[in-house]
Amino acid sequence: MQQYIIRRALLNIVVIFLVITGVFIGLRVTPGDFAVSQAAGSITDVHSADEARALVRHDLGLDRPVLEQYGDFVGGFFRGDLGTSFATKRPVMDELQDRLAPSVELAILEIIIAVVVAVPVGILSAVRQDTWLDYILRFFAIFWLGVPSFFVGVLLLYFLSRWAHWSPPITDYQDFFENPWMNLQAMVLPAVAGGLAAGAIIMRFLRSQLLEVLRQDYVRTAWAKGLRERAVIMRHALKNALIPVLTVVGLLLATVASGNVVLETLFNLPGLGGYAVNAIRQNDYPVVQGVVVLVATTLVFVNLLVDVAYAWLDPRIRYG
Amino acid sequence: MLTGQEEAGLGVLVAGQEPYAPGQSWLTGVARFIRHKPLGTFGIGIVLVLSLAAGAAPWLSRYDAEEKFFAANPAYAPGTFEPEQKLDQRAGPSLKHWFGTDNFGRDNYARVVWGARRSLGVALGALLFAIIFGTSIGIVSGYYRGWLDMLLQRLMDSIQAFPAMFILLLLVALTESSLVTLSMGLGFVALASVQRIIRSAVLTAREEPHVEAARAIGCSAPRLMWVHILPNVATPIIVVFSIGLGSIILAEAALAFLGLAPIEPPSWGMMLDEGRGYMTHQPSTMLAGGLAITLTVLGFNLAGDALRDFLDPRIRLQ
Repeated sequence: MQQYIIRRALLNIVVIFLVITGVFIGLRVTPGDFAVSQAAGSITDVHSADEARALVRHDLGLDRPVLEQYGDFVGGFFRGDLGTSFATKRPVMDELQDRLAPSVELAILEIIIAVVVAVPVGILSAVRQDTWLDYILRFFAIFWLGVPSFFVGVLLLYFLSRWAHWSPPITDYQDFFENPWMNLQAMVLPAVAGGLAAGAIIMRFLRSQLLEVLRQDYVRTAWAKGLRERAVIMRHALKNALIPVLTVVGLLLATVASGNVVLETLFNLPGLGGYAVNAIRQNDYPVVQGVVVLVATTLVFVNLLVDVAYAWLDPRIRYG
Repeated sequence: MLTGQEEAGLGVLVAGQEPYAPGQSWLTGVARFIRHKPLGTFGIGIVLVLSLAAGAAPWLSRYDAEEKFFAANPAYAPGTFEPEQKLDQRAGPSLKHWFGTDNFGRDNYARVVWGARRSLGVALGALLFAIIFGTSIGIVSGYYRGWLDMLLQRLMDSIQAFPAMFILLLLVALTESSLVTLSMGLGFVALASVQRIIRSAVLTAREEPHVEAARAIGCSAPRLMWVHILPNVATPIIVVFSIGLGSIILAEAALAFLGLAPIEPPSWGMMLDEGRGYMTHQPSTMLAGGLAITLTVLGFNLAGDALRDFLDPRIRLQ
């Protein structure tokens, strides 16, 4: 097991290294750089446009040899330094920390909603397999997979403002620890919209897992010794069925935290998604590199963590 | 797109086992599918209607998607500056405009029909890209194994670790934003998970006796891969195709919703985004765009799900 973890961690470092190289090359081969947009405003009598651009490039260190820039970036990354943003001149690390909070909070709320909805529905659907109740629940699950979360968000906004005359506050985003009430008001709609889609995935997965476990011998034993249905399902079957579901929840958390550009944009949340999109448009290289590396690192290590947790929770799983 | 377990499950699908017994006509298979998979049949129905809309858009759409409609101006009076006619914008559903009109007085029904052509076109292009390259990489990687496999798989891991939005934005920035680059970007994002499914199917297929026999009589490696192994991974390819289309259409709609996709031809995601600006006044545009996306993705998901169950030999219908 230890060997397995070490080998996977080393492979992850290779993957992260490839990602770093990929984002570095990707940014440099795209046309336009930060200097072009920045210098446009500073053309004066003294400088021509080309001179202004060259000055900006020199300030940002973009005129150095590419390999030197690459070495700086990689070296900085392993020291925990992601450089400074071209646009704001602040360290990327600090900016990422500010932007991380709303994204992570949204992801956690989404997963809470997803689990609260999906677990009871999944159990019901599996226990009453092939009844009309099961068909209806499964149809709803597959329906929620198809409804885009941004459409759900728009519909929620529409119906709430029409029938309940309520819409999320349009003030600036408030931090949860400073103003929890305002914060939750801004968060509730995107969390519901995203949570239902994630819930559909969890529900379908839990249902198929539970169906498999319910066919096993030890469950038949539990029935045979006269336990009530509640005890058989909640105490015996569910425990084993939930293990793989937990891994899916872990993976969802990682993907949801990194990929909520649409919901963050729709609901004006200052999270990572909008930050990254903006930085790409501005060609703010250090910021884009920082976001991509952060997301990729989180993703590969959460993957590893999930696999390890899986083996730890279920002793039958062995990695060689 | 798929959870790890689903991917692993798909990898086991190895063809050569037809979803119906030999000697039966394919019609028997179809009849059995309809009988056992009512939801899947419903999904395939939606897919067929969509394909019809996409294929016959010029004849079904009634109007041109960009045509602006005008209506009599109620404020018009001779001698004032009010024009006699003004844009028939943000109208509700009527016999003339089945789904109402949008902010520019364009017919929503026509835009939904033309939007089907765009959505399906982009998604098909993306999936073809992903499947052609994914199958090639998956077969080579699964056939040779060893260091080549190791290298290719880490490369694919790193693609998957990239935020999808970054790859798409980069491709849009790299070239003139067009539908072709858009579908290539979407295909590139799907590539990693497609090739993983194909690869695990190849790992099983390469140990089959007939592949062994072909190797024994001296077939070259390319011939082994393309003639003897490729037909064996046809089933997972079909399944990937039907399940993948829905999620790619969803991704394209999300990009259009964010305003990151080309604005012509009309797109459902754009209609949803534009319509939400005036939805409290007239929700018809928002609903037309949103429902079109929802029904389409639902249709592909239902069809793909049923098709997978049907083609999976382990839970084949009796």
